Amino acid sequence: MFFYPVTILLLLLTFVVQEFLPGIALAHHATLLLPPVYFFTAAVAVPFPMMLLLSFITGLIWDARHLPGAVRIVENSADSLLSGPLGMPEIVSGGGFGMGISILIFALLGTFLQGVRPLFKRGRVELPVLLVGFTTFAWLLLEYLIQTFLRGSLFFPTAVWTKMITDAMLAMLASPLLFLLLYSLAGLSRYEIKYDGLRYSFDGR
Amino acid sequence: MKKLNILALLIFAAAVVSVFTLDTPTTREIQSKVMAVLSPFIHSSTAIEEGITTASAPTLDPRELKRDNERLQIEVERLRIISQKYTQTLDENNQLRELLEFKKTSPFKMVAARVVKRVSSTWWNTLIIDKGLLDGLATDTPVISASGLIGKTGKMAPHMAEVILLTDEMCRVSAKIDGTLEQGIISGERAGLDLRPDLHLRFLRREAVINPGSLVHSTGEGGVFPAGLLIGRVKRFEIKDITGEAIVEPSVDLSQLRHVFVLEVQNPEEPPAKN
Repeated sequence: MFFYPVTILLLLLTFVVQEFLPGIALAHHATLLLPPVYFFTAAVAVPFPMMLLLSFITGLIWDARHLPGAVRIVENSADSLLSGPLGMPEIVSGGGFGMGISILIFALLGTFLQGVRPLFKRGRVELPVLLVGFTTFAWLLLEYLIQTFLRGSLFFPTAVWTKMITDAMLAMLASPLLFLLLYSLAGLSRYEIKYDGLRYSFDGR
Repeated sequence: MKKLNILALLIFAAAVVSVFTLDTPTTREIQSKVMAVLSPFIHSSTAIEEGITTASAPTLDPRELKRDNERLQIEVERLRIISQKYTQTLDENNQLRELLEFKKTSPFKMVAARVVKRVSSTWWNTLIIDKGLLDGLATDTPVISASGLIGKTGKMAPHMAEVILLTDEMCRVSAKIDGTLEQGIISGERAGLDLRPDLHLRFLRREAVINPGSLVHSTGEGGVFPAGLLIGRVKRFEIKDITGEAIVEPSVDLSQLRHVFVLEVQNPEEPPAKN
């Protein structure tokens, strides 16, 4: 049974591949966000505990790579309150968007995707593909909403919607390939995609 | 729900709580390690991108290249002369300061860096440069170019660093408008996804008289950025509920950046003790 270790290895590999993926300049540099998309496809194929592990790995590495560097907010704010002209520090944190938020969002959306596992095991990918697009959009929207909430003003320019929709479309385009990869991997490793209660089973062939 | 699922959920909750409660040095260390692991791939992707750009670029005319080379050699000579004059003036200035027993202002030490990756596909406006911790850089250090302020350093890897751009909402600079007494805090737009998003200079007086075209410089009073760095030019002035806000066009075209300089603000020298 090498399905789980290989799934994790492939997840790590997606972070490397992500560095080589270009953005679409016309769509405000929207791109295929491969690690999250891979996680969403894998979330359909693995059981709940494994999904949680994958969400933890994806969220942690994603935040570590993409969140701006953490800063010592308290000390610097205090210094600036004393020396700054308006009591406004130049150093601010990521708008309160700390490392770990993505883990929670991925786990939440992964749990939602677990509901379509019976379809996946039957080899039907239409709904899972749509749901991968939806969860990609939901993840980006949630991140943006959290930022908006923490920074205290509603601001939704057209560019934000363009980027989110294009990212979701690209996710939907790529997900059939990822599903195919996971089907092949399941077949090779004789992995059975089981649904809770063992009502359904699938040996990958 | 199965017992295994409940157990997994509990372990997951504990792990998430531990991530949320990580202190800043540990978070920085994790970010640095991830960036260090991925840095060879970031370099490789840049090399591939440059290779494709070079291959698809039209072939240059050798005569034109020769002309360019001659022009650049003349420019180098001119700058060399200016540099010599500058050194002479600086020495003379220092001698005069010593005579006056004047406290020296903080000099800048600059580290030149090449922009490795410009486009960020996330909500944050950042770029990556090819110098890092082992090249003497530190987090929250100002980054400039010949045209003005660019941003500040963020995450660090041994030979790579992230720069949080001035156009990001997270990058705040204490700034003033030339020719007025007005000063406030300038920052970018949330998800400023355009190539050249505007900056917002907030907390100005509502009754302030600000002319479009006025230059905006850093005040040096906010704790991170030194005074006198050019930030941009005022486009217009807007009156908000409580304060005024100037919309500022950044002086640097961030989409065209190739090289940047990371400032290292040195502590002013202590005056010699008198016996």
